Amino acid sequence: MTLRIRFAFLLLMLCQLISAQGDSIKLTEVVVSDANLKKYSNSQSVLKLSDSIINRNEALLTDLLNFNSTIYFKEYGRGMLSTVSFRGTTSSQTAVIWNGININSQMNGSTDFNTISGSDYNSISVKAGGGSVIYGSGAIGGTVHLNNDLAFYNRFENNLKLDYGSFNTIGINYKTNISNEKWSAQIGFSKNSSTNDYKYLNRYTWRGEQRWNQNGQYDIITMSANAGYKIDSRNTLKLYSQFSNTDRNTSLVVETETKSKYINGFNRNLLEYDGDFGKFKTNFKTAYIFENYQYFADNSTNLYTYGKTESLITKADLGYTLFKSTQINGVFDYNRTKGYGSSFGDHVREISSAGLLVKQDFSEAWKNELGIRKEFTNNYKSPVLFTLGSSYQFSKLYNFKLNLSRNFRIPTYNDLYWDEGGNPDLKPESSYQAEIGNVFTFKNISLTQTFYYIKIKDLLQWVPGKNGIWSPINKDNVNSYGAETLLGWKKQFGKNNFSANASYAYTASKDEETKKQLFFVPFNKVTGSVAYSRNRISAYYQFLYNGFVYTRADNNPDEIINDYTVSNLGIDYDFKFLDSFKLGFQVLNIFNEDYESLEDRPMPGRNFNMYLTLKF
Amino acid sequence: MKLSKLLLIALSVSLFVSCSSDDDNDESKGQYENGFFILNEGSAGQGSVSFSSDDFSVFTKDAYTAANGTDLLGKYAQNIFFDGDNAYIIAGGSNVINVVNRYTFKLIAKIDSGLANPRYGVVKDGKAYVTNANTYFSTNNPNGNTDDYVAVINLTTNTFESKINLNATGNRIIEENGKLYITEPYNSDKLLIVNIATKALETPVVIGSSADTIEEENGTLYILRGPYGDRSEIVKVKLSDKSVSRITFPESLDGAGFLDIYENKIYYTVGNSVYSIGTSVAEASTTPILTASLGYLYGFAVNNNHIYLADSGDFKADSKAYIYSLTGSLQKELAVGVGPNGFYFND
Repeated sequence: MTLRIRFAFLLLMLCQLISAQGDSIKLTEVVVSDANLKKYSNSQSVLKLSDSIINRNEALLTDLLNFNSTIYFKEYGRGMLSTVSFRGTTSSQTAVIWNGININSQMNGSTDFNTISGSDYNSISVKAGGGSVIYGSGAIGGTVHLNNDLAFYNRFENNLKLDYGSFNTIGINYKTNISNEKWSAQIGFSKNSSTNDYKYLNRYTWRGEQRWNQNGQYDIITMSANAGYKIDSRNTLKLYSQFSNTDRNTSLVVETETKSKYINGFNRNLLEYDGDFGKFKTNFKTAYIFENYQYFADNSTNLYTYGKTESLITKADLGYTLFKSTQINGVFDYNRTKGYGSSFGDHVREISSAGLLVKQDFSEAWKNELGIRKEFTNNYKSPVLFTLGSSYQFSKLYNFKLNLSRNFRIPTYNDLYWDEGGNPDLKPESSYQAEIGNVFTFKNISLTQTFYYIKIKDLLQWVPGKNGIWSPINKDNVNSYGAETLLGWKKQFGKNNFSANASYAYTASKDEETKKQLFFVPFNKVTGSVAYSRNRISAYYQFLYNGFVYTRADNNPDEIINDYTVSNLGIDYDFKFLDSFKLGFQVLNIFNEDYESLEDRPMPGRNFNMYLTLKF
Repeated sequence: MKLSKLLLIALSVSLFVSCSSDDDNDESKGQYENGFFILNEGSAGQGSVSFSSDDFSVFTKDAYTAANGTDLLGKYAQNIFFDGDNAYIIAGGSNVINVVNRYTFKLIAKIDSGLANPRYGVVKDGKAYVTNANTYFSTNNPNGNTDDYVAVINLTTNTFESKINLNATGNRIIEENGKLYITEPYNSDKLLIVNIATKALETPVVIGSSADTIEEENGTLYILRGPYGDRSEIVKVKLSDKSVSRITFPESLDGAGFLDIYENKIYYTVGNSVYSIGTSVAEASTTPILTASLGYLYGFAVNNNHIYLADSGDFKADSKAYIYSLTGSLQKELAVGVGPNGFYFND
């Protein structure tokens, strides 16, 4: 390791500062996988979680984002299906972006955050607000970016993290980086599993037996290989490839239920070419994405229902620098998805789109962005999407941001083709969004405050129709508004390093007609963490407060999930063998809070985790 | 295993004893006497049972939780049947039957073995006969439509005794003169007949597809069927000789829903409308007694001089039950639980 890298690494360790620009750390050698994330998000708030924060949380993405972002999670028990609500929107209105490609399920439109392990990525960013112009369907509430960034300098590094915790929870995460100035390769493997048989606090069966999480086993394996090759100073080729399989039982609500199992997996491949010819820049992407699931209604049998989709995505992004201050990008893409399954037959869907992005930096302080995009498909009528943003740095202390956008979420395979009930005549859900951001930076403190208003039209809802068959229709309109506050602080006193972060989200998301808060959207969510390190030792504490949520659309005050506060405490010590040899210990849910995020789905009480992190 | 069963028996017996001794001390058998239950299927959450007194002056939205605290009733509450002082609540999604005192709703026991998607139950001579949908048909589960069965349950011990395989699909069930009569609306065109004594299937009667609600009156079964894209019918099956006669509805009454018989009149529903004819009348009435304003009619009964209708709602919020007079004037609207699907009378 060069001194410079070590310094950068140290910075990474210390800086959990949620920087609004998200680029306070610059490793010039790094080629980011999703250039647009940085380029076109000056007028919005992006929270970047570095690998040091990723390592502090439990392996699966739910835990990381729940404790470090304003996103609300609904979990069907620990490790089970986990869906989000971002800015008061539905689970299919947050898009997950893998190296620039939208990977939300074509079948149900959302992503299960308990099938993704954070350590498979170099960084994870959470961008609040609309982004359909760049990221497509589902980028209404916000986007979560999983990035593998390739670095071009001489190195051979290995990272190994081993976890062992309560309920026989085992994590093996290995990553190696091999690179020189021309080549860069990254190979990763992760396996996270648990028997997950935790006790339900204070819950007993009618026979008086302690209740526990039955049939909650999970096992998630992911392998990734990424490579980059700099052909010359102008041309770069990159290949990203990932394979994952999640084998998971579904935990029982009542002991007598039939035990079921859900297996799902994906295979993603992305080939990317970057050409940089001075004023003219090109980026071509071709991706093949495969996802499948098998549902065993009774896991003692071999009978299952299934669904699969294969998507081919091609994208051309042609950039031209008009003046020093103005850049134009023309983006064209074509998607072809073939889906087949036991419940929705066999269908092909083709979508093309054309878009234009303009970025204009009048000065170092005043930056503007403009984007417009339109999709073309036979499947549905697509709205014209746009984004319009401006960022003005009034002083060192204060940065003002403004963003307006129109975004959408297209109907899924289930919505269109489910047998019986699928409705081929659906419109996409669409939204208008306005947000104002204020970023204050003072010495070691950064404070970001964002106010937003989202008007969502034609929400897809499954309702019982004729003959009792459920069918989706474009039904409700929703108005969501709220405020997000992100606070970061860090300070060094001699050898003592302190840092603290906090976030608070107030969310009012109301059905336009009934004026009721959407169910499973909390009014309030708070997260906080403090970290301290000195020499070889570091310790941290994090907490999460989730306000109550209604479980019924009519906001019946008797039908709620109570608010809860969960805290974790961790400490690790670096023995300094190899490059780094850390042994850590965590107490999760340290105050033994009895909580659940979904009715009758209790989460575990106090539990423990040990980990060993090696770098060599 | 054996010890726990013994324990269960001992516990249920002791509970039973304590309940009946309560009854001796008290004039009233419990707060849920002289009224009716509305069974709420539930959706994401558990099923529930609402209670209203006959004069609507007493109402409890969730009688099971009121009596049993945090105990879970189970998912997809489907049916309630009674025997003596007990009510048996079937939660199909959880493979369980909750045995409660029908007047206090205190839990006595749970029948939780031998069940696979239980649907409806009847009682004869201390034994319950409960239809089980078991697995559902799919291309890789070709046996899904032939694996349904009737679970025979001993109500003294509250334990599963044996299975009667139906080799077909079965759903609604009634008992008459030692025989079980079973319909199923989705994958069957037959009325299944099971002889309880021999536990054997008799020759089924072909009645046509989409046959659902069954009622018995004076030796005749009245079965309503509302096939999609074809005429609705009331199929009458004479029990003595299994002979079939039909009242075929005009096209305007396609898609009939429920049927009930009350004081020599047949009441049936199409959409949100309720019609009635005398049991001996040969033609359907096309003049509704009432047309309710509700989303989707999900439960129906006629009793105690009233017509009871349940609105399915959207399964995301509590829904409503509506009680009309026999002449079709609205008497009461009750805010019940999620997905109300049936009315059960506790007199």
